[in-house]
Amino acid sequence: MRNDLKQKSKMIKVKIIAALLLILPFAFCQSFSAAQSQSSFDARKDRLLNAAGQEVRKDFFVITAKLKTQRNVPQALARLDSLTRDESIGGMFYAHGLIAAYLHTASLLPDSLRIKIRRAFRMRTMVRGDTENHWVMYYTGLYLAAQTWPNEDGSQWFNGKSSPENFTEAKSWLEHWIKLTTTKGQGEFDSPTYFITFVTPLLTLHEFARDPVMKKKAQMLLDYLFADFATEHLRGNYGGGHSRDYPQDIINPSTALTTKWAWLYFGEPDFEPWAEVKGKSRHPSWETVAGAVSSYRLPEIIRQIATDRSTPYVHTETKRVRNVIRFGEKKNPPVYKYTYMTNDYVLGSLHGGILQPIQQHTWDVTFVSDKPHNTLFTLHPFYSGKELAMFFPEEQKVLSDEVNRFHRVYTDPNKWNSSSPYEQTFQHKNALIVLYNINEEAQHPHIDGFFPKNLDERAEDPSRWIFCKAGKTYIAFYPLKPYEWIEEEVNWRWRSRDLKNGVVIEIGTEATHGSFDEFKNRLRQTKVAHDNFDKTLTVQYTTQTGALMQFTYDGQRLLNGKPVDFKSYRLFNGPFLQSEVGSGVLKMAYKNQTRILDFNKVSIKDEE
Amino acid sequence: MNSSRFRINHGGCHSEGSLFKHKASASEQKDSFRMTLFFISTKIGKAFFLIYLLFHAAFSNTCFAQNITGKVYAAVLFNNSKSNVTGADRYVGVFARTSGETAWKNFSNTNLFAFGLGFSQHGAIQRHYIAGGNGLHRSADGGKTWKILTGWETMEILSVALDPVEANIIYIATPYGIFKSVDDGKTWTEKMRGCKSWYADEIIIDARDHHTLFAAFDDDLYCSRNGGENWSALKIGAPGIRTVFQPAVHPNVLLAGTEDRGVRVTFDHGKNWQAGAGIAATAIYAIHGAADGKTIYAGGYQTGVWQSHDLGKSWEQLWSAPEIEAIYSLFVDPANSNHLFVGTNGKGIYESTDGGKFWQAAGLSGAHVKQINSFP
Repeated sequence: MRNDLKQKSKMIKVKIIAALLLILPFAFCQSFSAAQSQSSFDARKDRLLNAAGQEVRKDFFVITAKLKTQRNVPQALARLDSLTRDESIGGMFYAHGLIAAYLHTASLLPDSLRIKIRRAFRMRTMVRGDTENHWVMYYTGLYLAAQTWPNEDGSQWFNGKSSPENFTEAKSWLEHWIKLTTTKGQGEFDSPTYFITFVTPLLTLHEFARDPVMKKKAQMLLDYLFADFATEHLRGNYGGGHSRDYPQDIINPSTALTTKWAWLYFGEPDFEPWAEVKGKSRHPSWETVAGAVSSYRLPEIIRQIATDRSTPYVHTETKRVRNVIRFGEKKNPPVYKYTYMTNDYVLGSLHGGILQPIQQHTWDVTFVSDKPHNTLFTLHPFYSGKELAMFFPEEQKVLSDEVNRFHRVYTDPNKWNSSSPYEQTFQHKNALIVLYNINEEAQHPHIDGFFPKNLDERAEDPSRWIFCKAGKTYIAFYPLKPYEWIEEEVNWRWRSRDLKNGVVIEIGTEATHGSFDEFKNRLRQTKVAHDNFDKTLTVQYTTQTGALMQFTYDGQRLLNGKPVDFKSYRLFNGPFLQSEVGSGVLKMAYKNQTRILDFNKVSIKDEE
Repeated sequence: MNSSRFRINHGGCHSEGSLFKHKASASEQKDSFRMTLFFISTKIGKAFFLIYLLFHAAFSNTCFAQNITGKVYAAVLFNNSKSNVTGADRYVGVFARTSGETAWKNFSNTNLFAFGLGFSQHGAIQRHYIAGGNGLHRSADGGKTWKILTGWETMEILSVALDPVEANIIYIATPYGIFKSVDDGKTWTEKMRGCKSWYADEIIIDARDHHTLFAAFDDDLYCSRNGGENWSALKIGAPGIRTVFQPAVHPNVLLAGTEDRGVRVTFDHGKNWQAGAGIAATAIYAIHGAADGKTIYAGGYQTGVWQSHDLGKSWEQLWSAPEIEAIYSLFVDPANSNHLFVGTNGKGIYESTDGGKFWQAAGLSGAHVKQINSFP
């Protein structure tokens, strides 16, 4: 009996040891990985602060970096002083930037400068602006300023409201925006440029909000936005469709500002985005300093979601259109977004139509490459006062000229960013159909495609496919109508002038197709059915994996005969992120880890 | 009661603005051109013509050197001026030109995107209002200090209407509808029952009944007869209402500027509407009239200034203004119906003191002037 017990006890011990031997390396690896990731982040943030500290730009974040690193302090103080004195500036960027710099460096500032900063919030009109990012910066600035100087009457503030009035209004809007974003989706979603104008104020809010609930909400929303970015991130590139972006970033994705944030938080790309490697960041500002001086740390699960591309996946999202003030039936109709991610490329698309004014980027394939301009896409360069009047409260007949003053390419027939009411998409994994039905009276009656000149190959095949090779990525591009090539500095412009038009795209890789020749051979066997297209506006295409896509412009999208139901789209739906529309809850999952953000309860739940 | 005073004193000196005069209507231009050709074809004619030019320049300067008692206010939404421009010409906000002064001066804080103006006087209390991008601004000390009355819910404010009887009641038109405050701007309630679109460009209070309101919406002109509680479309026969004007001395008359169909007019307080005859079928952004109700002016997109002597039934072009893309605002001096102002999109203010025959740039060059008005 005793021997039996001994034997059993021994067996149990052996089992426990065996289990520990199995679990411990894994746990150790995970904690080691997290620790390693943390130390890598610390190294990058130090590197960033040093680089920013050497900049000469008069910028709140450069000044913060200089003061934090004690580099050229007199110059930094003089510049901050000058920014408080220049009364020609003032607005939402200023409101947030000024209070952020103040709060980060207050102990290093002389009293005279602190007084000048306080005075700026009395003397300047802090313009609130008219976009989502403007309001986030404005109300974050106002919230923190009112918190910093809490008991002052209206005479001490630019808007005549007392500190409590300003604090209450700012808090109310920030809470409204957080709820809207986590239930209906962001309006200025997934923007490689404007991402910074959301995360930067949220970092400041998280750092300095004294209300623990607001502080936690800011932290949770940072997680939320970084997770949103992470699912569409590929080696520093923000893939797929974007609400707003600038042409330079669209045609050269790694020059976008989000690349700096990817470098800092995800550790990719492997080059420093301010250096001349693939292309220096288009925008010279240093908002990433806000991340480097913040106590916010990206949860490891998000970094892993951003960087593990071992298994291809489909990820869909629902976003919302910016506030529609005219010519619409809904103030914020939904946007449906589809992204297919692989280790070598990301193909993504918005469902089509005018979903954001001026700077929409509807679809692209962005591929991993050592070369710049690693992307390919088409668009219809549309503009109209009516489009603008949907979103801006000025007269529609003069709006195009007004917008041209700020976004100089808006009316340009050769522009590389555009929303068009005459463009619709249907994507299934690595295949995409884009159809156009352009009104005869549209100002620019053509569609353009961006083909970088530095592709390894670009060949027109007798089968009508245009085959392109970029590293390990193979792109097949099937135009429905005749076209021409226009040579430009960094690209070939593919242009087709038929108003009823379209393209079919299928992407492959070395991993899925072997050689480029094999890819081409297989594509030649496919059939794009578009007989009588001008009347039916219908295309049918069977992908190489056997999926039958049928797409009618302004009609149904059928996948293997079944209609695609956008209304069933979740806020996030993919292997890494799950969220129902209206829920306020986001579940992240990576291998055996989960992180649940519940904005209703203001809670974070981590599980392994 | 709302009060507005606007007096002209002759004899001052006006140095601002170009000496170049913008000649009036097309038919006048033709006749004048023929006479001029004939006249200067003789030597005596040439001499006289030279004297005429000098005299005219001097005379016009005298005309524009009129002092104004009271102030003219201009709401500036944008400014095209380059960054090397200084003073009022550089900024946006509200600017005022005072009696005896030649330049426009900041009346509001700078950097304020101003869509509209308002003024109220109840007893001795005078208040100035600005409908702005940041909200509804109010000053109770003649523009020295301002307070924003609205919060984030009302977004941009495009127009303000102040109840002339009940001092605590304020209406605002916004891209998101009509809002009303019954507690002097402390709280705001959306008032949209009966409206089919939400973009409201302008709101005015009826000259006879302060409970009756008219609001310019994108789909129609709407009327409320109970202080905004319920609205009904007036079915004026043209969408895209950009502005609405009611001559105070003819309160049954209402004129609406539309996006593409010129002016619509009613002579029975909104029951029946007709198109204003003769006016271009374009966007009309501004309508204003002389205090005596005899002449009404309208301006808009690539169409210059039009005038009507029959309350809007028929129109003739007064000034083609070829170099001005759009006229956003019009104002007729209540004390002198020959004294006109127009606010442009990007070329500041133009002024005429002879009923619109000659126009002169009158400052704020580069400004997009959404409204002009005169208050104390």
